[in-house]
Amino acid sequence: MPGFVPPARVLIASLSGLCALIVFPGASHAAHAHTARTVNLSENARLHRTNRPSGVHLDEQGYASGTISGTIYIHLKVYANHVSAEVNIYPHGGSLTATGSAGYHVNGGYAPFSGTITVQRGTGTYAHASSGGLRFTGSIQRSNDSVTVQLSGRLSY
Amino acid sequence: MLVVLVAAMAPAAAGAETATLHASFSPDRLGASTTIGFSFNLAASGGGLPAPLSAISLRLPPGINYLSTTLGLAICQPSVLQVRGPSGCPPNSRLGSGSALVEVPFGTGAGKEIPEIAALMGPPAHENIVVLFYANGLAPILAQIVMQAELIAGTDTTPGRLDTQVPLIASVPAGPPVSILSVRASIGPAGLTYYENRHGHRVAFHPRGVSVPEHCPRGGFRFSARFAFTDASTATAAYSVPCPPRHR
Repeated sequence: MPGFVPPARVLIASLSGLCALIVFPGASHAAHAHTARTVNLSENARLHRTNRPSGVHLDEQGYASGTISGTIYIHLKVYANHVSAEVNIYPHGGSLTATGSAGYHVNGGYAPFSGTITVQRGTGTYAHASSGGLRFTGSIQRSNDSVTVQLSGRLSY
Repeated sequence: MLVVLVAAMAPAAAGAETATLHASFSPDRLGASTTIGFSFNLAASGGGLPAPLSAISLRLPPGINYLSTTLGLAICQPSVLQVRGPSGCPPNSRLGSGSALVEVPFGTGAGKEIPEIAALMGPPAHENIVVLFYANGLAPILAQIVMQAELIAGTDTTPGRLDTQVPLIASVPAGPPVSILSVRASIGPAGLTYYENRHGHRVAFHPRGVSVPEHCPRGGFRFSARFAFTDASTATAAYSVPCPPRHR
């Protein structure tokens, strides 16, 4: 999504993978032997807006804690009755990217939302990550566009 | 401020009401925070007073989102509004203002102005935004009226709508209801001051209005309204806000 720049950690994770291939030529064979691990993901995060108010786009940054922990970035695009979301989480050793959408309603100073997101890709430890629809709920504080988010569901990687 | 309407004293025949609608964005710029203005006039086609209104459904252009505005950060409770008026509600619940022209069945036909209509954010219903309209009637209609309107959000391609149930407004105690001749209202930051606490200080600010959609459909931003009257008749009206120039 335009204007949403992933942090340098992605580059570091990519370089780490490249180094592993150089030092351990058998690493590609190891990849075939990958054994999927499944966890019940349960994440909570608080984020703040990092872009200027535009009326449509919200770029959010914060910290996720739970089953996995790390910096979290969310880009929300606001439509008339829902938001589309791209979620990037950077736990130790890799990253996860998920997209989805959520319906929202306005309740005074808050706008609770609820929907689903699906993991699209990962890097490092999470290079083989996949999921079904993860529950994606939270609330937007309308005065300053800060966001609280909960993510839950089964994640394989 | 309100247009002068010609209305005779005789009640209208059933099914004879006509309506006109006008709407505006101020400023009128794609994607900009704006104040939405709308007004309507009602008349009986054969002369006389239109029947009292029972409901209004105002359709709004597709593509308006109500999340990115900071209007209505606080909620006004209808019971508080009824008893104490808008001053009893949080300043941050104010959404807009307006005025109306009404006529009593025994009036002169020229109409009596209700100069003060306030729009405030009410508690949501069915997960929809509720707009409370408070009308402070002066003589000969000494009544404070609270009307609840439910804002049903549309999508990017289908219009949202503001559905308002209009109560009967008695002209005098146990007397016949009044007829609404015209209403003018605006929803948006123009003229509103909100407050927030910053480092322990109360700081005033202007709320951000809803945004004009970023794309203007051919023919402009279409508003339409359906008016229902107590005599079971209906009237419809539409108005399109022209697309703003591409560059200003």
